[in-house]
Amino acid sequence: MTAPIFEAKQVSFSYEAIPALRDLSLSMEAGRSLALVGANGSGKSTLLRLLDALCFPSSGSISFSGNPLTPERLRADGYDLWFRRRVALLFQNPDVQLFNPTVFDEVAFGPLQLGWASTEVIARVNSMLETMDISHLRDRAPYRLSAGEKKRVALASVIVLDPEVLLLDEPTSMLDPRSQSQLIDLVQNWKGTSKTVITSTHQLEIVEDIAERVVVLEQGSVAADGTPSEILSNGELLLRANLVHAHRHKHGDMVHSHPHLHSHARHEH
Amino acid sequence: MRRHDTIAATLLSLTHAFGTALVSEQVARRPGLLQAFDPRVRVIGLFALVLAVILSHRISVIVALFVVAVLLAVLSQVNLKSLAIRVWLMVLLFTSVIALPSVFLTPGDPIVTFPAGALHITAQGVTTAVLLITRVETATPWMQILKALRAFRIPQEVVMMLAMTHRYIFLLAETAAQMFESRQSRTVGVIAHSAARHMTTRTGGVLLSKSVELSNDVFLAMQSRGFRGDAKTLSEFRMRSLDYIGLLSFLLVGVVAVWVGRA
Amino acid sequence: MHIPDGYLSPSTCAALYASAGVGWYAALRRVKCVFTTRLIPLISVFAAFSFVLMMFNLPLPGGTTGHAIGVTIASIILGPSGAILSISIAVAIQALFFGDGGITTLGANCFNMAIVGSLMAYVTYRLVAAGAAISSRRRVVAAAIAGYLAANTAAFVAAVEFGIQPLFFHNARGVPLYAPYPLSVAIPAMMIGHLAVAGIAEAVIAAGLVAYLQVADPLLLGNTSGLSDSATSTPVFVPQKSLRKLWLTVALLMLLTPLGILAGGTAWGEWSMSQVSAAADQKAIPTTSHDQAQPSSPPAGLQRLCSLWTAPIPNYAPEFVKSPRFGYLLSAMFGVGMLMAFSLVIQRILQRRRTAGQP
Repeated sequence: MTAPIFEAKQVSFSYEAIPALRDLSLSMEAGRSLALVGANGSGKSTLLRLLDALCFPSSGSISFSGNPLTPERLRADGYDLWFRRRVALLFQNPDVQLFNPTVFDEVAFGPLQLGWASTEVIARVNSMLETMDISHLRDRAPYRLSAGEKKRVALASVIVLDPEVLLLDEPTSMLDPRSQSQLIDLVQNWKGTSKTVITSTHQLEIVEDIAERVVVLEQGSVAADGTPSEILSNGELLLRANLVHAHRHKHGDMVHSHPHLHSHARHEH
Repeated sequence: MRRHDTIAATLLSLTHAFGTALVSEQVARRPGLLQAFDPRVRVIGLFALVLAVILSHRISVIVALFVVAVLLAVLSQVNLKSLAIRVWLMVLLFTSVIALPSVFLTPGDPIVTFPAGALHITAQGVTTAVLLITRVETATPWMQILKALRAFRIPQEVVMMLAMTHRYIFLLAETAAQMFESRQSRTVGVIAHSAARHMTTRTGGVLLSKSVELSNDVFLAMQSRGFRGDAKTLSEFRMRSLDYIGLLSFLLVGVVAVWVGRA
Repeated sequence: MHIPDGYLSPSTCAALYASAGVGWYAALRRVKCVFTTRLIPLISVFAAFSFVLMMFNLPLPGGTTGHAIGVTIASIILGPSGAILSISIAVAIQALFFGDGGITTLGANCFNMAIVGSLMAYVTYRLVAAGAAISSRRRVVAAAIAGYLAANTAAFVAAVEFGIQPLFFHNARGVPLYAPYPLSVAIPAMMIGHLAVAGIAEAVIAAGLVAYLQVADPLLLGNTSGLSDSATSTPVFVPQKSLRKLWLTVALLMLLTPLGILAGGTAWGEWSMSQVSAAADQKAIPTTSHDQAQPSSPPAGLQRLCSLWTAPIPNYAPEFVKSPRFGYLLSAMFGVGMLMAFSLVIQRILQRRRTAGQP
């Protein structure tokens, strides 16, 4: 059996005094796709940032392909650049990731920081803009983009390096339905390739499309780990993890209460 | 006494920022004369003209430069009417801020005296006008200003900070505007003075918290893409013959103006 | 308070650019040390925040409204070096992109608001809040006083820059070439507006934001608290004693500059060639020299020395340089800038010594 690409062992992390992750353990195989689900505050974003070595656990350990992710290890002989090329994180708020004056500069930022030659950078950026269908935005300033365009630019700036691992933090949030489905298509394309994809979301309806495995987080720890069908059919778990709400309505005199997965518009039972 | 609606005034300033940005971007994109030059040439030209105006002590020279500035404005397809309004407004505004009489009453060399006797257009007034016109018409797209600054050996961190600040001004202005708007929509009539003060400072506080959080997140995002402290950039412009001609013309005009205009 | 192009002479602009340049250089070195890789996003976002804050139309006690600069809260949170950079960037963007304020006067505007303003704010805040707990009311009051003083000091320096223009820079007929109002008009004109309105706005915002942070995010106030038990990293700024002396020296210097000019006449011994020959001064010189009569022709030695000084200066601005009053002003402005840079260097040395002494 191949070594897991990510191994998190009893990881705890707090923001100032507030605990975000408690004793979390998780193992991820390379080339798989995982959906990380949980309510807001369950620790999804924190976990992704830890996996991207942007912060470090206060106790426990995280390793990437056998290498422990610690500040010292990253500083040693350029390992951080090697790591940054291979692991990419898409932040939930695209504004945070669009800090360059133009779209072109933004997509070029990563390759430039990693020391690629100018000509190669220009070529790669142009092809990336083509692929993501945002060439017409190349000279646009980020504050003049729509939410969907921002997400596409952010995604482009992150996958331009052709990373092995993609960490996506609530990629469909703040998007209109069409942009959402476009993004889901993209993620689906990666499913089954050699890329490792970990997507965090609280939208249960997309989970089946984007992942083969689901991990449920509840208050900073793993509450469940299984296939999408296993997890999604466990109504009690979902209710407890605050991923669904109980919907009560009457049939005649009977009060009918059940966990509610789908939108209120289409309700069949 | 009519209460001054400060919230509305703040909203106006905030949205005005976007308006200014859009206008200057539009001017910069028009296919006029100045827009054709390399941005470094435009920046140098701007500086040269401004210096020339300041260093000239002869009224005739200043008036000549005024004509040059207006000509450039026309050739660069700047909207003359709005420009004229803005220029005079700016001059009047500034002098009123420091509690001085308007440009017409500025003590200085009168060029033209109106029959009424009390008003003369002074050299100072014309100078200010020229300077403002020059500033507007040589409006270079922000991106190119940044690249020009880099070419002038301004440290890379400083240029990056200018760029990033500019980019986030709009985000923070929008956030602030939304906070003010939502408060305003929940109130009937004008908010009382001291309540408005508390509201404004509180919005400032929330904006401050969001700014700090934003800066932390941006830092993480930068690190995530390999940033280690020294930002690397692509190599920049090359000068064409048109640019050299433009550069020489600007410098020539400047030098001649200064030389002829020396006291 | 943003001075547009054309109101300050090129020599004034150059002198202030030089002083500002020293301040920027020192601040940048310092901030790179303290904030390392965090520098760019931190200063940038803070500069953006200051910029937006400047747009707030703030209702003030008494019924007026005004605008703050934001330099005080920047100094309190980032320290003076961070504030110098943030406010300078905000001012630069206002000038370069939005057209507020001139580009030849960018150095002057940054010097007044970002450098003088932030040092004044920081020193005052530290002195008044000395030792108080982070959540104490004294810090709010300290912020208010710091804001008021900072805004008014910046305005005063700007007023001085304006007021000396007609004194030095006029054509042969005595008509002023740049800002036309003398100190006697410029100072009251600027100061009234700031003492009554803008200074209050700065005080209100500084106090309001400190009060807000005391509740919402007290750690942000820890950087400049001077308290050794604060949860953030070790305090990196100079202890109060040297600050006080420094503040007094700077204040004294700045006050002396306009007084020196207003006093009229020239400092004894600093006469230029033209003055030695000019009739009016010929009377003044003997009276200040204990009534010893002046030689009828300028001393040869003085003649030689004079030409030595003016020789390297290019032709386009000869009379400004020969005037001793200009030289006096230039050295005063440079002196202020130098002192400020010096203070930042001292801070760094002291900090290094302190961290070296710690295990």
